[in-house]
Amino acid sequence: MQAKLVSREVLPFLFSFAALVIGALLLDGLLHLFDAVWIGRWLGIPGTLLIVASFAYSLRKRGLIRVGQPARLLLLHQRMAWLGSLLVLVHAGIHFNAILAWLAVWAMLIDVGSGMTGKFLLERSRRRLEQARQHLRDQGVCAEEIEERLYRDSLTFDVIKQWRAVHLPITLVFAVLATSHIVAIFLFWGWQ
Amino acid sequence: MKRWLLALIVANLALVAALTFAYPHLMVGPGTLVSGHAELATDCFACHAPLRGARSERCVTCHALPDIGLRTTQGLPLARRGAKTAFHQDLIEQDCMACHSDHLGPRQGRRSRKPFSHALLRVPVRELCESCHKAPSDALHRQISGNCKQCHSQERWTPATFDHEKFFVLDRDHTTQCVTCHVDSDFSRYTCYGCHEHRPDKVRREHIEEGIREFDNCVECHRDASDEPRRPRGAESGRRRKRD
Repeated sequence: MQAKLVSREVLPFLFSFAALVIGALLLDGLLHLFDAVWIGRWLGIPGTLLIVASFAYSLRKRGLIRVGQPARLLLLHQRMAWLGSLLVLVHAGIHFNAILAWLAVWAMLIDVGSGMTGKFLLERSRRRLEQARQHLRDQGVCAEEIEERLYRDSLTFDVIKQWRAVHLPITLVFAVLATSHIVAIFLFWGWQ
Repeated sequence: MKRWLLALIVANLALVAALTFAYPHLMVGPGTLVSGHAELATDCFACHAPLRGARSERCVTCHALPDIGLRTTQGLPLARRGAKTAFHQDLIEQDCMACHSDHLGPRQGRRSRKPFSHALLRVPVRELCESCHKAPSDALHRQISGNCKQCHSQERWTPATFDHEKFFVLDRDHTTQCVTCHVDSDFSRYTCYGCHEHRPDKVRREHIEEGIREFDNCVECHRDASDEPRRPRGAESGRRRKRD
């Protein structure tokens, strides 16, 4: 039995990530179609608030706060960050204006990608790989043969693990860039 | 987090910060400025007040209100006075950003391209469309002088709000000059007299013979040239116009 990580885990993850981007483009397209681009401009605020609120899980995980169940907070972290990212993407739209804001958007996309890697891939991949190993062990396959058969999947799993490692640093980058963008908006925009 | 990675991130962010201060028009500016303000591209605070956005008070430090449309910012007379810009002196309030957005980015959406609000004009100027607008030169508009708002709103020129067929159908027997019925281009009134059989005495006699005593407002019953007059619909009776 092959774990088939690429077809059963990686591709679904990529499709779900693409759904986020395509969904944002579709929403933005609708706003353009109905001449309501101004709505997208304001969506940055709820989007940012959702993302900021989702950090409650990160604080809980590191013991900086003690309220809330980690499992529930993780679920909220995933959902709020995804929805917030969708709103921010619509907010960004397809306007290539300020570079700083676009760097923040790219950092956010990489951040979301790395977060979704953890959510979608890492745990499920580990479970699926272990199931495959167990299945082969039950068939009496020796350890060396198991590693040989699951070589490609093990390699994929190692790559996935590395990808998750960028989640925290890129979150830091995203936070600084997004804060800079927000400060620039407060500094220069008239809120009218 | 590994220290070298953290150092790399901090170094990159510092670079981004430096670029933001060196090239603010690229890093935080929402699109290029209009050509007339190109030299202000890196001087954001020439127009923007910290935490309050672009302010009209800063615009008028260069663009003196009495000079807009008449003189350059250096005080030199404009070679060709633009009729569309000479109205600035007649605005009821000084709010440049109500119409102007000098960055390209915010003007990409149609809605965000701020339309001019005629409500910003003083009433006498607001009512005098031709002080800013040139009348179209088509056959219809050549016959009309003034009083544009009878057909057009100040929100937008098209569609014209007036549908003549709601009042009277201009069929092939009634394709004539507007002033034939609307004397002196006064479209609040009309007359049917003066054409072929529409003589006052004849009209009066025919209506009296039918027992009709109120026949001042022809289009109340005669919405088109058909022989059979029709009674006005209740909803439309409130929109009657006076007939001469």
